[in-house]
Amino acid sequence: MPYNGKITPVQMAFLLHPTIVATALLLVPAMTERHAGRDMWLSPLWALMAGFATLLTAWALHKRFPDDTPIEYSERLVGKTAGKIIGVLFIFFYWHGSGSLLREYGEFVSGTFLMETPTEVIMGGMLIIAAYAVRGGIEVLGRCAQIMVPVVVVLFMTLILLVSRNLDPYKLLPMLEFGILPSLKGSIVPQSWFSEIIAAAFLLPSLTDRSKGLRWGVITLLFVAVILSLTNLTVLMLFGELAGRLVYPVMSAARYIEIADFLEHLEAIVMAIWVFGTFIKIVVFYFLLVQCTARVIGLSDWRPIVLPVGLLILISGIWTAPNLQQLVHALGTSIVFELLLIQLGIPLLLLAVALIRGKKGAPATAK
Amino acid sequence: MRNWIRRLSGQSPGKPQPSGTPLPSEMRSDPRMRTPLSAALSENENILRSVYADCSDAVFRRFAVGGQTSALLLYIEGLTNVEEIDRCVLAPLMLQTDQPPSGPPDQLANRQIPVSGTKPVADIAGVVEEVSIGNPVLLIDGQTGGMAFSLPKWEKRNLEEPKAEPTIRGSREGFLETLGDNMALIRRRIRSPRLKMRSMEIGRYSMTRVAVAYIDGLADPKLVDEVMRRLQKIDIDGILESGYVEELIEDHPWSPFPQVMSTERPDTAAAGLLEGRVAMLVDGTPFALVVPASLFTVLQSAEDYYQRFWISTAIRWLRYFFFVISLLLPSAYVAILTYHQEMLPTTLLLSVAISREEVPFPALVEALLMEITFEALREAGVRLPKQVGTAVSIVGALVIGEAAVSAGLVSAPMVMVVSLTGIASFTIPRYHAGFAFRLLRFPIILLAGTLGLLGIMLGIIAIVVHMCTIRSFGVPYLTPLSPARGSMLKDVLVRAPWWMLNTRPQPVGQLNPHRQSDNQRPGPDTGGEQR
Repeated sequence: MPYNGKITPVQMAFLLHPTIVATALLLVPAMTERHAGRDMWLSPLWALMAGFATLLTAWALHKRFPDDTPIEYSERLVGKTAGKIIGVLFIFFYWHGSGSLLREYGEFVSGTFLMETPTEVIMGGMLIIAAYAVRGGIEVLGRCAQIMVPVVVVLFMTLILLVSRNLDPYKLLPMLEFGILPSLKGSIVPQSWFSEIIAAAFLLPSLTDRSKGLRWGVITLLFVAVILSLTNLTVLMLFGELAGRLVYPVMSAARYIEIADFLEHLEAIVMAIWVFGTFIKIVVFYFLLVQCTARVIGLSDWRPIVLPVGLLILISGIWTAPNLQQLVHALGTSIVFELLLIQLGIPLLLLAVALIRGKKGAPATAK
Repeated sequence: MRNWIRRLSGQSPGKPQPSGTPLPSEMRSDPRMRTPLSAALSENENILRSVYADCSDAVFRRFAVGGQTSALLLYIEGLTNVEEIDRCVLAPLMLQTDQPPSGPPDQLANRQIPVSGTKPVADIAGVVEEVSIGNPVLLIDGQTGGMAFSLPKWEKRNLEEPKAEPTIRGSREGFLETLGDNMALIRRRIRSPRLKMRSMEIGRYSMTRVAVAYIDGLADPKLVDEVMRRLQKIDIDGILESGYVEELIEDHPWSPFPQVMSTERPDTAAAGLLEGRVAMLVDGTPFALVVPASLFTVLQSAEDYYQRFWISTAIRWLRYFFFVISLLLPSAYVAILTYHQEMLPTTLLLSVAISREEVPFPALVEALLMEITFEALREAGVRLPKQVGTAVSIVGALVIGEAAVSAGLVSAPMVMVVSLTGIASFTIPRYHAGFAFRLLRFPIILLAGTLGLLGIMLGIIAIVVHMCTIRSFGVPYLTPLSPARGSMLKDVLVRAPWWMLNTRPQPVGQLNPHRQSDNQRPGPDTGGEQR
């Protein structure tokens, strides 16, 4: 049961890329540094493991159930009741996920730019527009991503280029001072972010050209790893081991931009560009939450629940943590396991069931 | 759709439909209209006189053919060429014949009436339709049909330069108010008989003729059918301008963006037809409607294709840049002055601060005040008679310029921002499309005043999402940027030279994707080093 509408594999890549990168640029570099130290730039590359594991699991399941999303094939694999439970898990996961994501955005904006504006207003404004986009359906999301993401990527590269004259490569040395273990430890948080590629499992059934789905998924992952690694390298070469003490190292890096001794302090523009990417991420999570809910309940039309679900996301964003510090702490500890368990664990479980039941000669790959 | 089927089936099947175009429902509901012409002239005349009761401009001319058989010529004064009627219809029938007419009226017309355009009519509705467009109708006693002659003539203006879309290089002809002339203007550019013009009448009372033009083999038949279906669905009392039609056939009627391209230029309309689009010509309107449209058809000018491609490419980018300026400059100014002063270099910040020292308003109020004044001046300049218009612009320049600054009501930088925005909004080649962006500027200024740059971003995101949502006759509004069509970007991001524009824009031209043969790059060594 694909969604109303189709997207191209490229559009899927443009949707998935900010789904991982947008918030990973904010808090993750600092969290990585705390464990990996000077080897933080290696961590995103290790984190690719979780990304590929998730993507390949999603792809293997998609091959068996080409027309179904995880909600439908979990019911077909493990039975109606257990399937519903998995569906509900996904609903709560995406509810919590979109809430904390929205909160990250709200905390970032109100903490750095609009200090006197209530976070609820900032989050609410974003949610209203997101609700409008989600109501448009998957085609609208694909088209929005195709317009916005290239702009974000190009401007982000420009940002790194403009900062590059302040970079000091010697801050990278000594490399791998304590072996690869610190960088592996540092990769745990990015691993959980990379597992967000599971969104592909929901998008694959509505591709115009399904055969190219895996290829563009892999390209997305590699590109994400390159961007994150490049970010960590820049941050590291700019601040050295100080990076772990900054809340938003990328934002602090933007303060170094200076064009022709005239344009300075362009952080606000960097923030504005970053909002584009976050918007796509919020919209993807929001859309998946709406879809999961509608499918688990069995609604024939999902559009009427878009606005109520948006209100719930706002509430979840307010409830998710009392303040930024608690949120960062949760993101670095318990949420890591939540993300990996739901986004990698459940699909692996489903794949295992599919393989076993496939062997028993009761192929669930009916279609 | 269902309504249309019901209407179609409402017509009795065996009855002749001389006009070929479906009549407006108002006329069809009148039982007199469906009466076939009878052989008795007086009977026909009575019905027609009752139809045209109290129409002092309807002329009923009774005369005798060959001195014996009575006949009736019906026309409307002022719509018909009376000299030609006298010379070509009345004179041969009254003076040069002495035997009574025999055979159906079209034989008579073929023998004795030297008029090129003739058309048989079989019922009252047919008579009314012909008479209403200025064609006199001849009815002869004893014969069951009439004859319409194409002799219309009314006062109309001459061919003029298109006022709203002028070009330096390019044709100087603009559309007129007469449908026939407009059809001819297109036909003169596309002479192939594959250029089709289907016509119909819309409007219960105005009975406006609308022609749907397309090129057979280039335009997707499904698109043509869709256009016809949407036009036939229209049931309104009158169509006085193509704007009525535009609003009644759009995909997203609530959107501020025009989803139909309206053009005053026959060459632009012809270019659209050659790309596989469908044009609609509405009688009485010097604007053709071309569908499907996209944001980029709206941002392109005919002249882009007439001058050298380097210049066109540069001008297109200039236009895109100023398009963004016209939308965002005042709001960016407000946001930076209100929330992000640190972004301004110190010296600039100082000079802005000095000029704002005496201004009593916050930047948001100042911007709104000036923008609204500017829009009012522009509107006044358009509406007022020409002689007064110049006076308004002089007063306006003084009021929103020098005087306001020296009175300390607004700051000089704000005046600059407003005038730059004004100039930028004039670079959008289609005046009517510019309206949408002029309008959207105001909510974005308000957002900038409340949320700073974040507000501007939210505004932009909302606009992008909206543009991603809307379609024009099934074609997404942001084609070819999103959904991306690589081959089409060379006519959007740049204007590639003609020898590279081998394919028609997709998905409009998918029926016949190749516009020209490949390998047309010119060079001194023809045929030698081709690609």
